[in-house]
Amino acid sequence: MAVRRQAFEWRNVMPIGETVILNNHPVLVPNQVHTVPLRAGIPYDIFVGNVGNTLDVPGELKAFQYIVLDAVAVSPPTLQAQIYVNTTRYFQNPDRTVSQGISGNIVPYPNGKGGIINYDYQEGLQPALYISPLQVWGVEVTPLEDIPEYTGADVTDANIAFCYVKYLLIDGVDALVAKALIDAGWELSVHNIRKYKEIVAKNHIFAGTSKLPDTISERKRRV
Amino acid sequence: MAIRGELYEWELTGNELTLADIPPAGQEFSIFTSGYGNSLNQTALVSEDSFVVINRIACTPGVSPNNYEVVGGILTKWTPNMFVQIVIDTTGYYRDPQNLYQSGISGMASPYPMTVNRIKYYDLFPPIYVLPDQTWDVRFTIYNDLLKAYENGLFTNVDDKIVLAQVFVDYTLYNGTDAILARKLLSLGVPVTIDSVQWLRQLILQNKGLDTETFDFYLKAVREIAKKAKEQRKLQGLATISDYDPS
Repeated sequence: MAVRRQAFEWRNVMPIGETVILNNHPVLVPNQVHTVPLRAGIPYDIFVGNVGNTLDVPGELKAFQYIVLDAVAVSPPTLQAQIYVNTTRYFQNPDRTVSQGISGNIVPYPNGKGGIINYDYQEGLQPALYISPLQVWGVEVTPLEDIPEYTGADVTDANIAFCYVKYLLIDGVDALVAKALIDAGWELSVHNIRKYKEIVAKNHIFAGTSKLPDTISERKRRV
Repeated sequence: MAIRGELYEWELTGNELTLADIPPAGQEFSIFTSGYGNSLNQTALVSEDSFVVINRIACTPGVSPNNYEVVGGILTKWTPNMFVQIVIDTTGYYRDPQNLYQSGISGMASPYPMTVNRIKYYDLFPPIYVLPDQTWDVRFTIYNDLLKAYENGLFTNVDDKIVLAQVFVDYTLYNGTDAILARKLLSLGVPVTIDSVQWLRQLILQNKGLDTETFDFYLKAVREIAKKAKEQRKLQGLATISDYDPS
C-alpha cells in the first residue's frame, strides 16, 4: 500500500466545555455539544491550532515520503483555507501578498452544502501541490467574519465549520519513483507512477532477452 | 462468472434492536465480524484462487448529534457521525498527517447514500488490491453516542424502520484463472482492471503469449480506451476541463 489516497477532516464541534481533542474526533451527545467560536481574521491551523480535532504535531514528511495535495474544501462560505509548506503560503494576491486562501463559496464542504456545488475545482488544485520529503505542511482556516458559538440544540450540520484536505501519500519504493518523475519533469500522478514502473519492468524484460555481447556468448565454457 | 463486480451493504437498523445491539461510540468495529448490524460470521479472507480490488467505500453522512427526531418517545431519525477505515491483515489504510492510524474517511467526504446536497468529495483512487491469502476488513467508528442519548432519556424506544448507520463497499472479485491473470499483471506493474485482465486473456487466447510486445499492445489499448471514454464523457455532458485539454 505504497500509494494511498488519504484525507483529513477538521471540525469545530466539541462537547460542551471542551475546545480541542487530540488525534481523534470527539464523542458527541445530543444537546450537549457546542461549536468553538472562530474570530474574523485569525488563522487557525487545522493540525496544531488547538481548536477542534487536531494533532500532536504538524504534518511532516519522512525521508521516504511524498505528498500530492490535490484538494482542499471548507465551510461555511465565509471561511477561507490557506495551504502552507514550510514557511511559504500557497495562495497569494495579484500584488504577491499572501491571501487568506480559498473560500467555501468555491470549494464547499460537504459538496452541495447550502446548495453550493464545487464546480471550478472539481479536479482539485491544478496543478496539484507537491510536498517533498522532510517538508512541513499544513492548512490554516481564516474566517472573513466572526463565526459565532452555537450551543446545545442549536448545533446543526449547517453551522459547524469544516475543513477537508485530500492528498495522495506516496511512500516507500514509490517515493523513489516519484523522485525520478519529478527529476524528469513529469507530473506526479498515479498514472505516471504506474507508467514509470511499467517502463522499468519493460526495460528489465528487454535487458533479459537481448543478445549477449560476443565476448560473453562466445566465451569458452568453464567447468 | 470469473470477474464479478461485488458490493456489500452493512446496516444497523431499528428492527428488534436492543441496547446490546448498539455499538458504543468512539470505538472501532468490523462490519464483517463485530456482530453489530447485518455482519457475517467470518473475516473477508481472499482465497488462494481469488484477487480483490476495492473500488469505493462510503458511509452515512452527517455530523451533528442534534439531527434526530423523536415521536412519542420513539426515535425515528438519527445521525451516527461515522467514519470507515479499511484494514488489510494488520495494516490500516488511512493515516493522519502525522502518520498514525486514524478512524478513516467520513460520511461527509464519501456519503452513502449520495444525494444532491451530499456529493462525494473522496474517490478511492488508486484502488486497493487485496492479494490471495490476505484478510481485508472494513471498520466503522460512530462518534454520536446513542447509548448516552438513551440514558439521558432522549427516547424510550427506536422505530423498527429506522436506519441508524450504513456502510457501503464496492469491490471487484477476480476468481480462478482471472485471479492468476490479475497477479501476472500486478507483477508486471500493469494496473489490474477488468479491461486489462480481459485484454491479457485475449492475448493469451490469440497465442501471443506475454512477450515484450505486450507492453506496446497494452499502451496502445489503454490509449484507445481512454480516448473512447473521453468521447463518451463529452457526449454525456460529463466532460471536465481536462477532457478538452489538447495535451
